[in-house]
Amino acid sequence: MDTANSSGQSQADLLVAVQKRKQANFRMGVGATWGILLLILIFLFSGKSIGSYQTIQLNTEFMRNNLAFIGGGLGQTLFVSILSILLAMLLALLTALGRLSTFPPIFALSTFYVSLIRGTPLYLQIFFFFLALPQLGIILSGVLAGVLALGLNYGAYMSETFRAALSSVGKGQREAATALGMTPLQTMRRVILPQALRFAIPPMGNDFISMTKDSALVSATGFVHELMWRAQKVGRAQFNNLEALLMAAMFYWVMTLLLTFLQSRLEAYLAKGDR
Amino acid sequence: MAPIVRISNLNKYFGRLHVLKNISLEVQPREVICLIGRSGSGKSTLLRCINFLEEPSGGSIEVDGLTVHSHERGNEHRQRIHEVRLKTGMVFQEFNLFPHMSVLQNVIEGPVTVKGMERSEAIALGEKNLDSVGMLFKRDEYPLRLSGGQKQRVAIARALTMQPRVMLFDEPTSALDPELIGEVLNVMKKVAKDGMTMIVVTHEMGFAREVADRVLVMAEGEIIEDANPTALFSAPKDPRTQALIERYRTGGR
Repeated sequence: MDTANSSGQSQADLLVAVQKRKQANFRMGVGATWGILLLILIFLFSGKSIGSYQTIQLNTEFMRNNLAFIGGGLGQTLFVSILSILLAMLLALLTALGRLSTFPPIFALSTFYVSLIRGTPLYLQIFFFFLALPQLGIILSGVLAGVLALGLNYGAYMSETFRAALSSVGKGQREAATALGMTPLQTMRRVILPQALRFAIPPMGNDFISMTKDSALVSATGFVHELMWRAQKVGRAQFNNLEALLMAAMFYWVMTLLLTFLQSRLEAYLAKGDR
Repeated sequence: MAPIVRISNLNKYFGRLHVLKNISLEVQPREVICLIGRSGSGKSTLLRCINFLEEPSGGSIEVDGLTVHSHERGNEHRQRIHEVRLKTGMVFQEFNLFPHMSVLQNVIEGPVTVKGMERSEAIALGEKNLDSVGMLFKRDEYPLRLSGGQKQRVAIARALTMQPRVMLFDEPTSALDPELIGEVLNVMKKVAKDGMTMIVVTHEMGFAREVADRVLVMAEGEIIEDANPTALFSAPKDPRTQALIERYRTGGR
């Protein structure tokens, strides 16, 4: 009995060990392939040639000289993105709640806003804010106009996320709150929203990551000195557009890698807190 | 004695479907009523009309001296519905505990948010009720970590902590594994013994026979039989009641 038991135990240990080795091998394989792909990418910009095939020659001196200038736009990019996402979250929540309203004007306002924003390109919207608002006598700084455009745009898209999150909270929750005598407002604030928000956080993280890159579109107006604007400025001035854009790309990529890492940590934390 | 619940000429339509047909019913204080019937007979809808989770299409509901007529509208009407809800506690088939709140928070949420009760007072009351359903030892646990039977006992404590005059139970054991049904029924017996007026929609014939003062049989939106359990189970009058009881007897419940 004892031996059977212990051999059964070691059998299980063996299976676990095999499983672990498989997982480790998989991770190693993925890591190695990433490394190779990265090396190929770097090689493509090395200026070296294989036979008659030429890779891209970069002006490394220009890159060294302008690294700090372009990188200096990171702060502005993050600043615009954070302000915009905060505005977008507020608008998205209000719009999602508006979609639940039985009062026609509120419902109409929500659907009209979402339809208008989703029906036109973001690039166009950003220009529109720069060109139209001054005609109405509203003069905003480049950053503020950019934040307004990005926030309004993402707010429309994120309202669908919020709507899904709100409807993910079961009907029974609302009924339990109602049976306790809660008003619709109390039910929303105490029961529905806390559950819906937790559901909405991971997709909002995704939206924030895409927004950090869409904020590049704001540079088109020439008033927000973020990554993209700086890259284009020095690139054009010294005829090193490719180098400048490449550096901007690296900044964007590293930034999103970091944000993606933070996002996965947040998701893991939320999953653990799931009860 | 004046009835604590009086339902008069209650009608309910879902679209064109007439699910409650002119129902009138009186419940005395401290009475335990079991509502039985096949699914779709309207028993849950009747229960849910009492605290206006379903809006009646016609008729009136009176709870503890407060009457709400279905044809009325406006703020005063809404206020009366609110007060009726304060006088009734409800226990659901699917428990519907708030998953983002601990057991104790679930129980004190109503008194604190709705009644504006002092937090310390609500906690004392909540702990007393959790203790009486045997769930005080899980006071800081979250619902996900509880078994179905434990969840339902917390849900009963949550309803009791609102200090209602009438408790409504909507198939409280139908979502439970068979071995967990007993603990919930025992708690319900205790609540009945403490003198609570109870209206219970159930399939538990044993509970109905043992605890109910009256058993109401519903079919096709009407109450077809209203009798004390001994009379009803030994000599059912309506053939539909006979069939219903026979079905449970052969089903082993």
